[in-house]
Amino acid sequence: MIELPEEGAGHVEIEGLVAGYEGARVLDLEGLSIRKGEFLSILGPSGCGKTTLLNCVAGFVQPTAGRIVIDGTDVTDRPPYRRGLGMVFQNYALFPHMTVAGNVAYGLRIRRLGRAERDERVREALRLVGLEGYADRRPRQLSGGQQQRVALARALAIRPAVLLLDEPLSNLDAKLRGEMRVELRAIQRRIGTTMVFVTHDQEEALALSDRVAVMNGGRIEQLGTPDEVYRRPATRFVAQFIGAANVLEGTVADGRLDADGILFDPGPLPLRPGDRAVVAIRPERIRLSTHDQGTDGQGVAGTVGYRAFAGDAWHVEVRLANGRTLTVQVADTGANSADPPGAGSAVVAHWDPADVIVLDTGAGGDTGAGG
Amino acid sequence: MTPTRRWAGLAYVAPLVVFLAALFLVPLVELFRLSFSPVDTYNAALPGFTLNQYKRVFTEPYFYGSLLETLATALLVATLCVVLAYPAAYVLARRSAGAMRTLLFVIVISPLLTSVVVRTYGWVVLLSGNGVVNRLLVATGLRDQPARLLTSYPSVVIAVTHVLLPFAIIPLTTALGGLDHNLHRASQTLGAGPVRTFLRVTVPLSLPGVVTGALIVFALAMGIYITPLLVGGVTQPLAGIRVYDQVETVFNYPVAAALSFALLALTLLSTTLLAGAFRIWERRLHG
Repeated sequence: MIELPEEGAGHVEIEGLVAGYEGARVLDLEGLSIRKGEFLSILGPSGCGKTTLLNCVAGFVQPTAGRIVIDGTDVTDRPPYRRGLGMVFQNYALFPHMTVAGNVAYGLRIRRLGRAERDERVREALRLVGLEGYADRRPRQLSGGQQQRVALARALAIRPAVLLLDEPLSNLDAKLRGEMRVELRAIQRRIGTTMVFVTHDQEEALALSDRVAVMNGGRIEQLGTPDEVYRRPATRFVAQFIGAANVLEGTVADGRLDADGILFDPGPLPLRPGDRAVVAIRPERIRLSTHDQGTDGQGVAGTVGYRAFAGDAWHVEVRLANGRTLTVQVADTGANSADPPGAGSAVVAHWDPADVIVLDTGAGGDTGAGG
Repeated sequence: MTPTRRWAGLAYVAPLVVFLAALFLVPLVELFRLSFSPVDTYNAALPGFTLNQYKRVFTEPYFYGSLLETLATALLVATLCVVLAYPAAYVLARRSAGAMRTLLFVIVISPLLTSVVVRTYGWVVLLSGNGVVNRLLVATGLRDQPARLLTSYPSVVIAVTHVLLPFAIIPLTTALGGLDHNLHRASQTLGAGPVRTFLRVTVPLSLPGVVTGALIVFALAMGIYITPLLVGGVTQPLAGIRVYDQVETVFNYPVAAALSFALLALTLLSTTLLAGAFRIWERRLHG
């Protein structure tokens, strides 16, 4: 059964949450509303407060201010064992002295479920993660991926209101991580449990989520669907953290934005001469050519400083005349296509005006932290 | 590794091997030989071979009674040490490194840092007829007269527990400190409160530390004699004191040797049994 996310039904409401020590605020959230049945990723670099946020929701960190409301109940002062949440840890945290079935049954035993119902729920949870035949194994007899599935089954067996996942895929190797990602999303779609997924891996967050909350410095910089945060980053940080965009600052003159000699068509934006603006352009949106092939008036000349092959694409760094560098990603389109120009080649970088992301405009040119 | 290299590695441990052989094995073998010597009427060892000393050890209540008493005392002390050590180890294991933990650790191992004379004298000061404890008992009206605390069996148990407590705390701290904190968190998110988490997760997973601590304390308590002798006096029915008595006042070295070996055998047998029982139980539990 699929429970569709209800618009505006605040399943988890976080209001004015502040956590940390005196002078060092690890977390300072205006608010975050998590919808029922959604898969929300909290994405950010290490130290951005994402784990603290998760620990506040779980009840392991007591916030210094603010409220956490789950299903209409204020749980801010409740201990972790009275919140009815499930949690999956990066290091699995399976009980080594219990079997797989014993681990999954742990929360059900505490809830004093009858034996028959308990067994049925354990079977059901193990079936959900595809480990029916492993009930009598010990955690250490399982691979990392299997252990994380047991941890998932254990957390889901208690039918939590919300499932919290703290970097659950980070200890797995790349191939398994990809497989588990697909499986996790499939399970979430099937059972419709609200999931809050903390990660530092932008690709993971984009691939899995209904919505992504990008965090930096204890605040949420942007909350939106994966394509929103990628295509329309709200801040310079989001643009650079997700997809490592080139960010340029400039001033509008003669109907164009001049960022240290790189000219941009301001497009439909209401920019007046003298305004400052911050724009971003994705590495994969920049094209390189060796001759000036007509660059729509936009574009800039430079020299290739560095070129690296990354399998599906090339990473090229272009040094511009003004001393700046642009990061360019050139897709590897097959054996018949030519490699991008090598180091030392003179190139022109150009792009479609529609691909220029305007991050911030105004007199200051400063990026604000918005939600 | 080539065979030459393997022998080269042995060279590094050779001094230790020589040291142990000269100062431990040789006297032990000599003592073992002595335990089969007959004695004359003045208890002096004679050449020859007899099982008489062992016969005495296992038939005279003075000797075998002391072995049983020692076994019971060692079990009691091991139990007391583990029970007392657990909360201390729990606190130590949970504290993050820092001045406070170092201080706590020094306090914990302080019985090992003090000489046996100083430590025992401390107990004498506390427990003597005119000691702190007795004066308190009389002053508070709990007793009319000072109690005989010093040469009593309880005082022996208390003093021995005090000396051996660090040997229980250290392995327990290691075992508890090695527990993944996320296991406690996982247990809590699944609905278990602190007490249930402690009983279902912490205790079962710290059992190896409990058993290690208990075995070390037990083995040491089986052979301890100076502290019980100084606190409890020569009449305490412990095998170590009986050996001392045979050597120092009766001068019967062969029977002292036989009692020593009986005690050694009993210690080895009971520790092996305890460790074996735990391993079987653990294997059944952990698969």
